[in-house]
Amino acid sequence: MTAQACCDENRKLLSRRGLLGRGLAAGAAGALAGLVGEGLSTRMAFAAGGYSGDTLVVLSLRGGFDGLSAIAPIGDPEYYKARPAIALPKSQAIGGDAMFGLHPALAPLLPMWKGGSLAAVHAVGHPNPTRSHFAAMEEMERAAAGTSTRTGWLDRMLGMTGATGPLAGVSLGTAMPSRLFTGPSADISMATVDGLALAGESDKRPMAAALRKMYASAPTLLAAPAKAADSALTATAGLRATAYVPANGAAYPSTPLGAALRDVARLIKAKAGLAVAAVDCGDWDMHEGLGTAAKGQRMYDNLLETANALAAFAADLGPAGMANVTLLTVSEFGRRVAENGSRGADHGHGNAMLLMGGGVKGGKVYGKWPGLSAGALVAGDLAATTDYRAVIGEILQKRCGLGSLKDVFPDVAPASLGLAAAR
Amino acid sequence: MTKPETTRRAVLGGAVAVAATTAGGLLLDAAPAAAAAATPAPAGLVSTDPLAHLLRRATFGPTPAALAEITKLGAAGWLDRQLAPAKIDDAALDALLTRLPLAGAGIATVRAKLPLHSYDGFGQLGRAAVARAIWSNRQLFETTAAFWANHLHVAAPSSDVWDSRTDYDASVIRKHAFGRFADLLKAAARHPAMLTYLDNRSSTKVLPNENYARELMELHTVGMKYSEADVQAAAKLLTGLTVGKDGTYTYAADKHATGAVRILGFSHANATAAGGEAAVLAFLDYLARHQATAERLATKLCVRFVADEAPPALVTKLAKVYLDNDTAIVPVLRALFTSPEFAASIGQKVRTPFEDLAATVRALGLGPEAEGVKALDALYNSLVNAGNAPFRWSPPNGFPDVAAAWASPSGFVLRCNSHLNLAAGWYPKQLTRPADLLKALVPSLPATYGALVDALAKRLIGTSLPADHVAAVLSVAGKLPTSPLTGNDKSVAGSLPYLVALVLDSPSFQVR
Repeated sequence: MTAQACCDENRKLLSRRGLLGRGLAAGAAGALAGLVGEGLSTRMAFAAGGYSGDTLVVLSLRGGFDGLSAIAPIGDPEYYKARPAIALPKSQAIGGDAMFGLHPALAPLLPMWKGGSLAAVHAVGHPNPTRSHFAAMEEMERAAAGTSTRTGWLDRMLGMTGATGPLAGVSLGTAMPSRLFTGPSADISMATVDGLALAGESDKRPMAAALRKMYASAPTLLAAPAKAADSALTATAGLRATAYVPANGAAYPSTPLGAALRDVARLIKAKAGLAVAAVDCGDWDMHEGLGTAAKGQRMYDNLLETANALAAFAADLGPAGMANVTLLTVSEFGRRVAENGSRGADHGHGNAMLLMGGGVKGGKVYGKWPGLSAGALVAGDLAATTDYRAVIGEILQKRCGLGSLKDVFPDVAPASLGLAAAR
Repeated sequence: MTKPETTRRAVLGGAVAVAATTAGGLLLDAAPAAAAAATPAPAGLVSTDPLAHLLRRATFGPTPAALAEITKLGAAGWLDRQLAPAKIDDAALDALLTRLPLAGAGIATVRAKLPLHSYDGFGQLGRAAVARAIWSNRQLFETTAAFWANHLHVAAPSSDVWDSRTDYDASVIRKHAFGRFADLLKAAARHPAMLTYLDNRSSTKVLPNENYARELMELHTVGMKYSEADVQAAAKLLTGLTVGKDGTYTYAADKHATGAVRILGFSHANATAAGGEAAVLAFLDYLARHQATAERLATKLCVRFVADEAPPALVTKLAKVYLDNDTAIVPVLRALFTSPEFAASIGQKVRTPFEDLAATVRALGLGPEAEGVKALDALYNSLVNAGNAPFRWSPPNGFPDVAAAWASPSGFVLRCNSHLNLAAGWYPKQLTRPADLLKALVPSLPATYGALVDALAKRLIGTSLPADHVAAVLSVAGKLPTSPLTGNDKSVAGSLPYLVALVLDSPSFQVR
């Protein structure tokens, strides 16, 4: 098969999966029938038990995160040759080691790095890279290159956990459904916990009950969100009854990410049965003005905002709470090694991931560094030496209690990077 | 604004970039199989009257006036009229839009009236889009303009297009919405808003910026047919298209990378810097007339107006009409709306949150506020919360246009809340309401509550609700379908907003 044909085939499958969408969220029989052969029967066998692993928080850094700025290869001289205007100067790096330095905007996370609960993996990537945001995001969310799988990997993972409560899988920060959850496992999306309330509902005027009756026999596409809304409204009613006050003086920034992580912490602390949360953190597409490590430059400002939100999240949960949480970042691709003429970088490939949590063996950068010499680059991009799914796989096995990964990440061997302690 | 403004390329893909807008023409192959597996079309929920069907698709929601007009003119006559929007009186809307003077303002005007990087232009533009969708008499023009704005998307708000985004809407999208796609594409390519949003303004011949080059092919024209070499060659070719100090488009020959290019079968000597702009325009003409572009646009138009899975035969037919008419848009629309595939697609589209809101205000017969724009602020902000405020999708692929992308629990609750708020007049309060909503919706009171809900459903949705839905609606009033309704029934007024809201909450109203 030629590369082009292969890609076409992949895309066709991806798009089919995309269209399956949320109509299937409730696990309608028709949907399940369409997914037989994707390990569903195996998954269902787990469904009776409860889930006792880490709450997994997946932070999608959309737009193509520049891992070469965040976890800068300050020990690689080629880095400075390729990025004369925007490379992170050695003198500005914080944390890290002789090869890698943390971007100074990550300072709010430095205590966690030094305390060993924040790690990075460098030179991660997809098996079949593309520089299209939209194709790469689909692939990242499907995470099953070369197979006919159409579901999102978080949906498959959630199915494996056996967590089946209405708040087991939640996307926070958006009213729109996350494609990571595409597939039969029940999940919900909430812009905010407080915002999910049905107007007019009262004992005298039981609106929810009327809606329940009208959607009982509606087509799945319309009925699934209505039914999930019904469950979610019930499940979150107690939470909304009292205003949420973060613990330990945690100060979430007033950004969409801050608000979303605040709600994730709220669900975790309420023991609402949250197994998996998906949160988006956008604006990483920096063709222009990625800039130097200074306030007002896009990479600096975005990293600082992100780091502040993550630091507040960790503070809010405290060490005891974080002991049962793993947060990891994914992005559709990294950026080109060489800067462009706009103090930015175009779409590339190899990238860095961040992992944070009580079970993370932090304070170091994992992965095999391929180097940035001309011969080591792949079409101008950082080569990927670790499949991002293998990194996640190690977390799923060590922290989330999954055994075989074959139903989550087909044909992927979990990494044995040793980046997490077994629960 | 109720939320922090997104910056330019914020949240690429959001949570959702579903197939309609992803990866170019992929949808074509993908959709039918997915649809078969996913869900039956919600047929049977809406009226099968072909005129009502046309109105549900070609407008932002049927109204009694529109129904009367289409009944009088017939489908073909109504289409003819809508396809010549200049002849349709829209004075009331125009008067309303004078309250939003920056909505279509030119670059110099915005710069003169607003402080640097002000977001006021974005705010007025978004509110104008809401007003036009709800109250314009040129409904097909408005739905088509919304389609092109989404196709050649420049997010608003987004940094750096503060001065040019309103002009882009007026002089690119609205100017060419019923013109030729080739002209639309070239106008977009020579507009500072597009060149800024996708970074071409800072691209240099030494280090070209690839952003616009890639999206021009992947999103605006041929789809994922390109190679990385094509992207690099196109990026090189596009250098020089930039923005001058006064904020307007300029071609800077000194920034243009000369040298022969080959891109997707297009070749050009591109020999001189002075001739670089002409070479770009030739490339854009080539892209606009490419078979793959024709098929992609046909597909997207089908997804917008026909069904989430574009009928392959209709795509083929529309692509041919598009090419046979030198990329003219009106013949394609005419062919689409008169096709058997369109006629057969009743019930196969679901309203987005934006369409739901517009259709609700239209169905309830609510008018613009007497003065000011507070109601428009409120309507716009409710769409921000639903993730569907006009132009506000951050990445360049535009809002997804398929039901699955919007089928979320939060979205469902927001729809229901909006229905009740509008029916009850709680929010926004400023909209002009019929003196007596019950009389306006149901002029003569029927004898039972069941018949009342039936009358409401026919008026608001154009069809009766199933008996069990009628019973469900009435449960919030503590009534049965057989409960008698008399002229001096005091509870009906108090219950009316809830009954109306639940009719609008029904599965039938979600379908367009």
